Amino acid sequence: MDLTNGFAFICPFKTNSGNKALENLPVELAGLNACKPLIITSRKLAGGSAIGTLKNAFGDSGMTFGVFDEVTETADLNVVEQIRDIFIKGQYDSIIALGGGVIVDVAKIVNLAVSQKVADARQLSTATAIRDPLGPFVVIPTAAATGMETSKYASLHGISFVAVHLMPDLVILDPRLTRAKDGKAVAEAGFAAFGRILEADVAPGKNPLMHAYAFTALRFLRENLAEAVTKRCNKKASLAVANAVAMSGCVISNTDQTVLHRLGKVFQNIVHVHPGMIIGMCLYPFLDDQIKKDRSLLSNLLLTLGGDDKYVFMPEDGRPGAALREIYEFSYEIYAALKGKMPPTIREAGIQQYLMDDVLEVINQEPDGAYLRTIIDRVGGSSIKA
Amino acid sequence: MQEIHAGGKPLKKAYVAIFLWFTGRAIQAAAKVDKEVKKEFDTLPDEFTFALGSLPNGPWMVVGKEKGKVKYFGGNLKCRPIHLRLVIKNIEAAFLILSFQESTALATTRNRLMTDGEVPYALSVIRILDIVEVYLLPKLIASLAVKRYPSWWPFGHKLAGRIGVYTRTLLGI
Amino acid sequence: MILPDYYEFCCRVQIVAGHDALEKIPALLAEMGAKKPLIVTDKGVAAAGLVDIVVNALKEGVTIGGIADNVPPDSDLKVVNQLAGLYRDNACDAIIAVGGGSVMDTAKGVNIVVSENATDLMAFSGAGALNRRLKPLVAIPTTAGTGSEVTLVAVIKDHEKHQKMLFTSYFLLPNVSILDSRMTMTMPPFITAMTGMDALSHAVEGYYCLQKNPLSDAHSLAAVNMIHQYLSMVTKNPADKEGRLAMAVGACLAGISFSNSMVGIVHNLGHATGAVCGVPHGICMAVLLPYGLEYNMHKRRDIIAELLLPMAGEDVYLKTPRAERADKVVSLIRQMNQDLNVITGGRHARYFSEVKDRDGKQMVPRDVLPEIAKAALFDGATIYNPEDSDYEDNLLVLEAAWEGKPLDRSKIKKG
Ligand SMILES: [Fe+2]
Repeated sequence: MDLTNGFAFICPFKTNSGNKALENLPVELAGLNACKPLIITSRKLAGGSAIGTLKNAFGDSGMTFGVFDEVTETADLNVVEQIRDIFIKGQYDSIIALGGGVIVDVAKIVNLAVSQKVADARQLSTATAIRDPLGPFVVIPTAAATGMETSKYASLHGISFVAVHLMPDLVILDPRLTRAKDGKAVAEAGFAAFGRILEADVAPGKNPLMHAYAFTALRFLRENLAEAVTKRCNKKASLAVANAVAMSGCVISNTDQTVLHRLGKVFQNIVHVHPGMIIGMCLYPFLDDQIKKDRSLLSNLLLTLGGDDKYVFMPEDGRPGAALREIYEFSYEIYAALKGKMPPTIREAGIQQYLMDDVLEVINQEPDGAYLRTIIDRVGGSSIKA
Repeated sequence: MQEIHAGGKPLKKAYVAIFLWFTGRAIQAAAKVDKEVKKEFDTLPDEFTFALGSLPNGPWMVVGKEKGKVKYFGGNLKCRPIHLRLVIKNIEAAFLILSFQESTALATTRNRLMTDGEVPYALSVIRILDIVEVYLLPKLIASLAVKRYPSWWPFGHKLAGRIGVYTRTLLGI
Repeated sequence: MILPDYYEFCCRVQIVAGHDALEKIPALLAEMGAKKPLIVTDKGVAAAGLVDIVVNALKEGVTIGGIADNVPPDSDLKVVNQLAGLYRDNACDAIIAVGGGSVMDTAKGVNIVVSENATDLMAFSGAGALNRRLKPLVAIPTTAGTGSEVTLVAVIKDHEKHQKMLFTSYFLLPNVSILDSRMTMTMPPFITAMTGMDALSHAVEGYYCLQKNPLSDAHSLAAVNMIHQYLSMVTKNPADKEGRLAMAVGACLAGISFSNSMVGIVHNLGHATGAVCGVPHGICMAVLLPYGLEYNMHKRRDIIAELLLPMAGEDVYLKTPRAERADKVVSLIRQMNQDLNVITGGRHARYFSEVKDRDGKQMVPRDVLPEIAKAALFDGATIYNPEDSDYEDNLLVLEAAWEGKPLDRSKIKKG
């Protein structure tokens, strides 16, 4: 790793992962100087049993807490304002987000609104400056997490916010909540995390601190994702995947390499598919390009994915290719396990023509739009167009 | 939208309370029959008292020295001045530890246990708890619970010790 | 990669590294809403001209609220209170700590006093007594070793009452740590060697101790790689800019690892040796590290073997049979001590019997080993060591480390 140009890195959240992790919540909240949290979640998206498990975790703590469980997929700033009002009137002092995706976006923006004491959350916009640290904020991802929960990004209905202060203080990964209900959802989350981390980790500007997270997360996914997809009873594999997904939020907050991430996001916004599905498709063509640009950057990937022996026993010039094979095998196992439930190309995803037109229009506006377009072409995007 | 006041976990609490009672008595007994435990207590100051228990509201076990003798003082934290508290972060973790699913050492490395007081005292107390675990548990379980099962102790030492600790624990002498 | 049944990991500190990282401080302070920092340092750091470099880098947009260079080698409550007074009198709004462990501890102590408006620091000692953000603290380490720029502990001594106060809280973590190659460039070879071995001991102990977890592991692996590659190089060639930066980053990675996974018998015995004989911490670490590995070998062979590739690289890894990888790690560390001993003209000690003070007097006479072995029983690091260690175990390790003979592993009591 070349340190000549220097680097900066930050991961503000603490991770608590494993058996009975949730039960530490009262102690952890006390450490954050919080005693009356408001839980933001969704009965529909996070599930009643997850909410029940969380409530039980407060055990005999004697704490009082609020539960807002009505976040929906289409939540907007009106919902944020509704929750802000509840937060103020109920004199809550901290926020716990239970779930993934939109639930956490809403929670982050509520935290912004209450911490910066805005009079009306509907006035918040992309231009809102986020200068100071926000109030105590805990994220408890479920299997529905996308990886963005732990990141510095939040977006809701086209309004987006970026600030390190939006990241949680604490992430709790509890095997009772991270167990996958649906193999496809785990695969999507896993692919999203894998792709986002991978592109940061094969970039020339990576630094050793970010690489520590990338290394851990990529290896966890390589070793556990297929298992978590096929054997839903395997709590340990799903927990390992959830760990990797949470780490991906840290990695993406410390990189400006976001080709795969942006591709996923465009489809997510326009076609309403999980970004992981698109990232999974684009993984291979993207890396194919990287290997043409600079083979040495992929060399280390073999060490991360294959382990010490595979790396050392492969001659130097075979390593980038072997890394690609690792990724090919990794994806193949997952696609095979899902037996067609996860489309490997855009064509097979059955995305309609008018939506593809919208996607391409947005992509053309990106500074590197022409390049992004070539990736889409290779995963069957253009053939719909033809 | 609803506001909830966290309730209790009476069953787990009762279990933990029973085991704390048992462990407290066992320490008192072990201090009489085991030289290692005795030696460890000798390094601690007179009237030294420690408590082991769970956040936020107990239960607790208070053990200390009184006029040179080691005594179990019950579960009331206010019964006398306490020099060291070993605090388990929540009742679920207390259950794991006191049902011997996790040893004190393992629980510490899993951040389940906090110490409030001087580190040297805490180490002495953890060593005492380890020895008592070896006495109370069959070898198979104890060897999982402690880092190193003292297989070099003569067999008679352990057996006699165990019987001694058990009877004294139950009789409270 | 093993996922423990339960683990916690946290390092909230923003790390800014580079050959010109100091110049980023004004912008970083501005982000935290501060513009008048108090600089806390010690006489040695100031005399080496390091404070001047920092002050020069701060020029724009920052008013320096004061420079206090009177931090003693052993943190002291009186100094903490005096510096807090200075902070208040000059209406400072942030603290910049430039130095090693004692400077960091002192700065953390000052931060508690000024943030909590404390009159009695003791009230905030122990774990969990602090529960809100303190004033912005920027840490600039001047040794590549202690890792205290990323640790959440502070030790302040009350020399009048003969008390040692321990503070542990995530709120004690610096907001930013600046790793700048210029800060270690003038460190003499002898100090470079021992602080570097301290860093290596953090990376290695962090990797085998009981509280290890996947993230601390990844930090350790990276640290071991950088430290092994660069330590001898910068000891030989102090002006090696790239090497200095790599060592600073490596030591920081090692600090992040061990502050999450804790340390074991090497630090356990090292703390005791320091307390009984006054031997500098880094020397204790250099001497004890191979023995700590040997002592835990029967429990951690496979784990220790995983350090070989990052440490020695492909060639050595390929040439070493699988079963001997862990032993090779130990012999490589012995070799490092040997190399450093040669580079420093014999000043870097390999065994305790070699440790001498300024007057050439032996610092660890053989007959104090029992006292050290006993003191070690009361040091917290014993909890996290994979194998239990009682008085006899401690003495066994200390005697081997004194003589410089490999540990006779058949004498270790195994359960
Ligand atoms: Fe150290």
